[in-house]
Amino acid sequence: MINRYSLAVAFCLLIAGCTGLSSSKSPQNESKETAEGIYPEPDMMIASALEEYRLSLKSVTGEKIAMVTDTLQFGKPESPLGNLVADALRFRAGSELGQFVNIGIIGEISFRIFLTPGELTRGEVMEFMPYDNNLVVLSLTGNKIAELANQIAAQGGGPISGMRFSIADGQARGILVNSQVLDVNKTYTVATSNWVANGGDRYPALWQYTDRIDLDVNIRQLYLDYFKSRREIDPVTDGRIRR
Amino acid sequence: MITRKEFLKKSAWLAAGSALPLLGANKLFAASSLAGITILYTNDTHARLDPFPDNAVEFAGLGGIARRASMVNKIRSQEKNVLLLDAGDVFQGTPWFDVYGGSVDLELMTKMNYDAMAIGNHEFDRGTEGFAEAAQKAGFPILASNYQVKDTPMNPFVQRLLVKEFNGFRVGIFGLGIQLDGVVPRDLYGDVRYRDPVAWARGMSNSLRRYHHCDYVICLSHLGYRYSDERIDDLKLAGQVGGIDLIIGGHTHTFLDNPVSVTNPDGKQTLITQMGHGGVRLGRIDLNLSERNSPFGVNSRFYTIGKEI
Repeated sequence: MINRYSLAVAFCLLIAGCTGLSSSKSPQNESKETAEGIYPEPDMMIASALEEYRLSLKSVTGEKIAMVTDTLQFGKPESPLGNLVADALRFRAGSELGQFVNIGIIGEISFRIFLTPGELTRGEVMEFMPYDNNLVVLSLTGNKIAELANQIAAQGGGPISGMRFSIADGQARGILVNSQVLDVNKTYTVATSNWVANGGDRYPALWQYTDRIDLDVNIRQLYLDYFKSRREIDPVTDGRIRR
Repeated sequence: MITRKEFLKKSAWLAAGSALPLLGANKLFAASSLAGITILYTNDTHARLDPFPDNAVEFAGLGGIARRASMVNKIRSQEKNVLLLDAGDVFQGTPWFDVYGGSVDLELMTKMNYDAMAIGNHEFDRGTEGFAEAAQKAGFPILASNYQVKDTPMNPFVQRLLVKEFNGFRVGIFGLGIQLDGVVPRDLYGDVRYRDPVAWARGMSNSLRRYHHCDYVICLSHLGYRYSDERIDDLKLAGQVGGIDLIIGGHTHTFLDNPVSVTNPDGKQTLITQMGHGGVRLGRIDLNLSERNSPFGVNSRFYTIGKEI
């Protein structure tokens, strides 16, 4: 981990204008806040017992899944990692159902780590999405999609796919779904996790679906598959949510 | 969930401690040779054997069982009478669980001399047989008074209560598990039956006080700290059941900087505590028994484990 950060820092020094780390809350920047210094060193007996098991662990977790070219974090109004996790849901739901899925959404609180430059391992993806959730596709009326956009806007943004809008005074303005103006009378399909659909996230509009399909796709496996298929993971923002 | 910044701020006092002269001993004991009892505890460690990774969204660099063990050893070298307890959900949360199903956690907890743990809902994540397989590595009692486990693979590994005696001072410990329906998939809990935690807590506390002659009663609860609806939680339990001195809680991943005190039906105080999750903190409660007179003093503090990055 540490090596990966030093590499990233060196990389940024080499390339002028690289803002990936300087604008983000890098772990190294925060280390100066630690002043208490009473943290215990590891107990050697327990540490060495743990090491005996680590080899088998590594045979599972060490598998290379993809290369990450730069730090990907969650953030608002949109973020490279937020866009990626929402896109992955929408694309996979579409291929599972064999039909176009309008929107993908999942709150960033479902994820436990951010991505750092270098090799992305299976172990990291397991940490990234540690929960055994499955993919669901909800049907929502356009009215509820407008509410959803406002609930995202009220939080300053969030991970979303298939939708574009700007935020003004905490409200979503100029909502486009798949490049078309939102039609409040139309029904839209929304890919998310069962946990989000069951009320686990902060998007109440999603709970008032008119139809729901629970797919036999584990979300963790979904991200493993998605990262693998991409091979290289680049941070991408495209202005889907603007302030 | 507290933010990292708040967490750092709250951790800053970790060496300060707070005095809670609340509890009464119900009989005199050989105090001259017994300065006190130190209760160390964790909950919801969730397979976090290594510290949180550097790129963790929360708690980067914190936790780790080897560091927790060295903190425990340090305290053991200073205090004669130490209890080390866990309120459940040792299983699930990192690749360690995916690969080893909790057996490494329980083996290392045994090496650390844990005295007991409660059963959390995630202890069922590999079914009753998966639990039994991992539990073979646990050299300490696993407590759940309100789960009926007979005729299940869990039966040999689960008991209702435990009594620890320190030079005549008797500490009774029992476990409570959360409702299984709606929390644990039915095919995972199999033939385990959930019983009313309030009724069983009354029975356990009564039994520990009257028949086991305990001076202090601890409930290891995986019910959760507080719910706004009618579900039973540690706060409601404390208000409804007498005879419990301390509830060490879990499930809701609540960081309580100080124990919460609730007046129980006996008119006495029951303390409730919980240490978040992931082994980020080690909780400590000291019973000061050096005074011959009751009530004896109780001190509470916690340690942040690991190095903040």
